Amino acid sequence: MIRDLHRVLGSEGSGPLNRLLAVQAGAAVLQGVAFALLVPLLRALLDDVSGDVRPWLTALVICSLGYAILQAIGLSQGFTAGSRLSRVLHRRLAGHALDLPLGWFTAGRAAEFGRLAGQDVIQVMNMPAHLLRPLVTSVLTPVTIVVACLFLDTRVALVLVLCAPVLLAVHVWSTSVVRRLDDGRDGAIAESADRVLEFVRNQPVLRAFGRTAEGYGALDDALVGQARGDRLLIQRGTPGLVSFAFAARMVFALLLALTVSWTLDGSLDVATMPALLVLVGRLTDSVSTAADLGAGMRIARGSLQRLRALLDTRPFPRPADPRPPGGADVEFDQVSFDYPRSTPVGMGRGTLLADVSFRIPERSMTALIGPSGAGKTTVARLLARFWDTTGGVVHVGGVDVRDISPEVLAASVSIVFQDVYLFEGTIEDNVRIGDPEASEDALHRAAALAGLDQVVRTLSDGWSTVVGEGGTALSGGQRQRVAIARALLKDAPILVLDEATAALDQESEAALTSTVRALAADKTLLVITHRLSTVLAAEQVLVMDGGRITERGTHDELMALRGTYATFWDQRGRAEGWRLEPAR
Amino acid sequence: MMRNSSHPSHPVAQPPPAPDSPDTPPPPLRGILRQVRGRLTTAVVLQAAAALAGVTPFVAVARIAAHLTGGSRPQAGDLWPLVTVACVSGLAALALGSAAGFVSHIADNDLQLTLRRRLADHAGRLPLGWISAGGASQIKRAVQDDVRALHTLVAHTLLDVTALFVAPAAALVYLFTVDWRLALLSIVPLAAGAYLFGRAMSGAAAQMAEYGATLGRISSTAVEFVTGIAVLKTFGRGRRVHDRLLAATDGFSDFFTRWVRTTLVTSTGALLVVSPVLVLLLLAAAGTALVAGGWTTGADLIPFMLLGPAVAAPMSVVGTRVQQIRAGQAAAARISALLGMPALPQTEAPLTPQGFRVSVRGVSFSYDGHTDVLSGVDLDLEPGTITALVGPSGSGKSTLASLLLRFQDVTAGAVTIGGIDVRDMSSACLYQNVGFVLQDVRLLRASVADNIRLGRPTATDEEIERAARAAQIHDRIAALPDGYATEVGTGVTFSGGEAQRVSIARALLADAPVLVLDEATAHADPYSEALIQAALSTLAAGRTVLVIAHRLPTIRHADQIVVLDGGRVAERGGHRELLAAGGRYATLWKAQSTGRDETREEAAVPAPAVLGRSDDPTIREREPRDDS
Repeated sequence: MIRDLHRVLGSEGSGPLNRLLAVQAGAAVLQGVAFALLVPLLRALLDDVSGDVRPWLTALVICSLGYAILQAIGLSQGFTAGSRLSRVLHRRLAGHALDLPLGWFTAGRAAEFGRLAGQDVIQVMNMPAHLLRPLVTSVLTPVTIVVACLFLDTRVALVLVLCAPVLLAVHVWSTSVVRRLDDGRDGAIAESADRVLEFVRNQPVLRAFGRTAEGYGALDDALVGQARGDRLLIQRGTPGLVSFAFAARMVFALLLALTVSWTLDGSLDVATMPALLVLVGRLTDSVSTAADLGAGMRIARGSLQRLRALLDTRPFPRPADPRPPGGADVEFDQVSFDYPRSTPVGMGRGTLLADVSFRIPERSMTALIGPSGAGKTTVARLLARFWDTTGGVVHVGGVDVRDISPEVLAASVSIVFQDVYLFEGTIEDNVRIGDPEASEDALHRAAALAGLDQVVRTLSDGWSTVVGEGGTALSGGQRQRVAIARALLKDAPILVLDEATAALDQESEAALTSTVRALAADKTLLVITHRLSTVLAAEQVLVMDGGRITERGTHDELMALRGTYATFWDQRGRAEGWRLEPAR
Repeated sequence: MMRNSSHPSHPVAQPPPAPDSPDTPPPPLRGILRQVRGRLTTAVVLQAAAALAGVTPFVAVARIAAHLTGGSRPQAGDLWPLVTVACVSGLAALALGSAAGFVSHIADNDLQLTLRRRLADHAGRLPLGWISAGGASQIKRAVQDDVRALHTLVAHTLLDVTALFVAPAAALVYLFTVDWRLALLSIVPLAAGAYLFGRAMSGAAAQMAEYGATLGRISSTAVEFVTGIAVLKTFGRGRRVHDRLLAATDGFSDFFTRWVRTTLVTSTGALLVVSPVLVLLLLAAAGTALVAGGWTTGADLIPFMLLGPAVAAPMSVVGTRVQQIRAGQAAAARISALLGMPALPQTEAPLTPQGFRVSVRGVSFSYDGHTDVLSGVDLDLEPGTITALVGPSGSGKSTLASLLLRFQDVTAGAVTIGGIDVRDMSSACLYQNVGFVLQDVRLLRASVADNIRLGRPTATDEEIERAARAAQIHDRIAALPDGYATEVGTGVTFSGGEAQRVSIARALLADAPVLVLDEATAHADPYSEALIQAALSTLAAGRTVLVIAHRLPTIRHADQIVVLDGGRVAERGGHRELLAAGGRYATLWKAQSTGRDETREEAAVPAPAVLGRSDDPTIREREPRDDS
């Protein structure tokens, strides 16, 4: 576990940690020696014959002061280590995350990353003061006491040495029992959390169909399942948890009985016996502290492992010999793709893209259509190298995207996603991120092309309107226009629109369609859309289904093919004529 | 037992896992614990007995030492009974303590289940308006996290605190019988520790508030990092989110450093003065002096060496315990706040509607009590007719429809069905009469059949299949590996349009005479739009329908078109009538048909507005919510 901690902290955080552990080790040994010194001291006090008390008392004072100094250093280092560790950890975390493949950052990651940077870092920053320090103490102090016993009474030392493996075995066994039960409970807890969320989110339907909490069996089953799991842990775990305390008490009882009988047969002197029992009392006390650390250790280990998993996630290697793209054409050559195994469960199953090949010549427009889950967005993301392909190559300007430096690739490709991200700031800030140095003219031109100028005119603060966190102050359509405007301002040679106009009303949609067509004159365009007007403007239409390209050609060619594409448009035509009519 | 952290702890330098709000009102913990009070009392008594029994072995050992050093030769008959007492009381302490823990854990186990059930049950009665406006996460937090936070308090802290008081007190009582001077002295570390801890803890409430705030900033910037990095990086501005995250985390560690620095000396001092080594040093040194002076004997020192450290030891964990109590109180406060939230009232004497005529009279509604989302709306739905609600987004269409479903109650006025106020009907009766198909469909993680059966629990498999056929979804279900038994979410993930059709099948099965419909449902999925429309048409046939309309051509033939604007009825009438009137409807119609004509010119087949869905499961939808 300490090795894990070093891995997570890196060289910057490891030095102070080692110093802290060394200081604490010193304090623990001195504590053991101080306890041991009580034996000759008490013996001297109990038995006038054994000689002078003073040297022992002096030794105890020196040893205790040494302990106090080291312990004070250890304590304060432990406390201050926390904030230093959090800083080191946060920096490593943020720095590493910045280099991760963009595909890593899915919506599901937000909560996970929040927990990593919050709770998990706190667990780890607490470790030195609240886990490692006590752990070092509760191991080294007993060891010191046992060693000291060799000088005080070999038999006691021998008994302790023989008992140690038994105690250790009991500890290992009880920890494993509790851990196993704890793990078994995780499933029940997750199920219950899931069902609670489902219950709350589906309230309209559940209520309407009379499924209140009592009536919704799945929720109650999950709650009962969770309670049963907890109860099982209590019932089965209690023996495990009690066993160590029992063993420790048995050791104490054994030594009590032995020392009493040794005293009775005269082989142990009456003054030493009580003093030794004081020492044994201290020993069992220290050992019990170690057992109590188990739960905290388990939690901290979980946090450490999660942090390690992130820090071990490999960023894309930077190309050793980066090459600039030799143009703005895009080519997918037998591309297949599957999410990496580390992606959260439920995000993707099976192959997402299989054997996808196509070429978009410079200054031309390609439309990509297909049902949900066909892989359209995956194509867009691979082009921007959110992930690397599992097989095949994505070329931009004739160069493998893996050989283009990330900055150059980012400058070449501009993407507008359906799910718009706006950061806190004004509309102007958000558009200008496309090109901070853009002239007023360029800004207004981009806004006009995206239909953002109309939005800005209707807002009382105009360009200075604050968009709110995530752009919540704007409507979906307004947010999309901001996103389109900034992509246009960026003026990259390759433009990808992923259902970028889905939230727009019909009027602005129509206006934007002409913008898109105008752009095709000097940009390489990949447009994912359900709109026929846009599709008609494309030189090439790709129809995707189940991660493959099933049909390709121009609109007319595809209509003539009478395949999926033609069926789809026929249905859309019928759908358009739909009306709700009173039954008469 | 499960989350015990009884290791020594700095009162402040160990942040609790979750920040608790310091300004919560006096905790209603007592009320929540009432149910298990008897068992908790038992557990506390057992624990107190355990603490007393735990002190006994040391007393026995001290008596043995007294016998040994009493001058005469030690007698086996004197010693062995004491050895037995020590061993038996030690085991008794363990048994009693374990029993106390067992009782408190079982009590907590029952309490958790009861609380979770009560919370879930109550959540099922709260106004839906509140739930969708962020209440959902509060409920989830209370049911899971807050109930779990109570566990530490109920199962562990209560007993720990009992032991912390009883054991030192019992030890002190015994020590005073041995030597009052040394006994007084052994209180000194305890008192000094208490004083220093008090100093270290002062102002902790304000610090905790700032701790919570700085931590909150970390989690919000972390979320921002994840959601924003893709966009910002493609614009070459990835550093922006990185720097913002670092600003938040640096703020946290700066604050923490300051906090630790102000309390560092006092808390380190406090932990040192109560440490066993220094307590023993104090007692040994004083004892040596007393023995030298003839005030006491060496044998009398033994009890102090054995029990002295235990007197002061509780101080070293007092900080952790105080934090656990605070966290438990805050959790209890949140739980009872939720339980105390007024539920949608249920009538005592439910009435049954006569007929299906729906009428809305003088209805006003406000979410916040200040701004009316609806004001003075009058509306009649004649049986078997279609009424369309039309208006810009935010005009109150969805809110009005939700009042009919009693997702919330009117602020003023009344909604009646068959002459009976919806508030005077039992929910079972209400939903037998009113069905709905709304835009935002979430299916339950249950078999497809059970999802449909929700509409009528007694439905046979044949009836379910018939409903699925009518809803145009049977073929899709039949093609699944386990057919109708396939579990939604794990065995199959339906597209938006498919989920819509499952919900239509459900509504068909429920067969309510009045139907609330969101027309936008039809274009949840452009690839199955025609199928959904067919299903909706089947469903609407012969019912009293209230439809929230987005595309006017769809509802051109409705019996009645009601135009809402700013929460008021602006116009009402038939399509021709309203067009002729040249008012708001005419304007809306013109605007929409212009857009349509434009597309019609360039395309043989017009493309309707599409509520796009992401085809990538990694992108979560963030559709603006209409009206609410």
